Amino acid sequence: MSSGMDHHHETDPRSPEVRTEALEDLLVEKGIVDRSRVDALIERFENDLGPMVGARLVAKAWLSPEFRTRLLDDADEVLATEDIQGAETGPVMDHIEVKANEPGVHNVVVCTLCSCYPWALLGLPPNWYKSPEYRARVVREPRKVLDEMGLSLEADTEVRVWDSSSETRFLVLPEQPEGTDHLDLEELAHLVSRDSMIGVARAEKP
Amino acid sequence: MTRDRGVHDIGGTQGWGKVPHSPDEPPFHNEWERRVLGLMFQVLRHTATRPGEMRYALERLAPDDYFDHGGYYGRWEAVMELLLEEYALLAPGELDVLLGAKEGTGPAHRASPVAPKDPQKLPADRKTPQPNHRTVRRELVDPPHFGVGDRVVAIGANQEGHTRLPEYVAGVVGTVVKIHPAEVLPDSTAHDLGERPQHVICVGYRAEDLWGNKSEAGVVINVDLYENYLTAVVEAT
Repeated sequence: MSSGMDHHHETDPRSPEVRTEALEDLLVEKGIVDRSRVDALIERFENDLGPMVGARLVAKAWLSPEFRTRLLDDADEVLATEDIQGAETGPVMDHIEVKANEPGVHNVVVCTLCSCYPWALLGLPPNWYKSPEYRARVVREPRKVLDEMGLSLEADTEVRVWDSSSETRFLVLPEQPEGTDHLDLEELAHLVSRDSMIGVARAEKP
Repeated sequence: MTRDRGVHDIGGTQGWGKVPHSPDEPPFHNEWERRVLGLMFQVLRHTATRPGEMRYALERLAPDDYFDHGGYYGRWEAVMELLLEEYALLAPGELDVLLGAKEGTGPAHRASPVAPKDPQKLPADRKTPQPNHRTVRRELVDPPHFGVGDRVVAIGANQEGHTRLPEYVAGVVGTVVKIHPAEVLPDSTAHDLGERPQHVICVGYRAEDLWGNKSEAGVVINVDLYENYLTAVVEAT
């Protein structure tokens, strides 16, 4: 209805695009779905949630050793204090753990059984995180996968993979890039990409 | 080991190509993916409300619908059809009829039914204080059976149905890394057999123990496992 008014409109009744459109109309007609609430939810996910929430936590941890210690010891307590809410209508944010990269240790997060992801801190996951290629391979050959994704690790760096198989969600605290000690919180947060908090990239240099 | 590996249980499987990665990938690629996300939360309120129930519905999709029906959001579209039919909010094949497709060709028709589970084979239920908000966390009086550093093995599920034990760690010895807060047991709640809360044990597995001596060096895979999956390993010295 609202979609697909582009040059190539899908018509195959098996296609997810056609089925989604028909399903929405049918559910609205049946009174199961309120279209304005669908719009509002999409808006919330696109505008209010996103990696900037996690990036600010990382930047704060870089600025304050005391905050960093608290974040690594008990992220739930920190999130409550910072008033960071779960995705509300979405999955309940039950328990968050933050894993710090440091010289000799690199962390990377996956969910092999589905696509669990810290929505409250990173927003919606990118497609590659949910792809079977990533889910299958990063537990078997993480160094190779990270290398293909542009992150090569030293051979003597230990790789710790976190498979999100319970309701605990993981966020990686990347290492602060060198020469950034003079930057403030907002400037530092801009260096912290979504990928660096999943553990498939380093924080960027300014 | 004791059951077929589910369509979703792909950790460590081989034959996959490169990860389709791009650093700036947006969360949505099409308008219909947006609509699926928006629809899902209202559909769930009328259907899969128990922990693990929606995930188990995804796991019951036919492989074509799981992998090749427009990716992640396509899978969600398929699972909405399945749940809506199972909760009788859609008649069987209703969407197909509306679309002029052959009845019974949709994802709900192709999905597997809920497997019967024997509650006797699940760990006993135990009373815990009910939390005042929606959460899977529970406070257990009994301490965990395992401590950090203990050697443990997960034997594998003893029956069909939903579980959060990835097959790739079944039968492999690992080391307890941490104890997470206790949660209701999805193997039970997904099948509507009660909460049966469990401590959640984070177990670290060395890559060489999982994948053999040709594996990458210096790699540990940490997996969160419900306590009832695990048995202590006494190793000969």
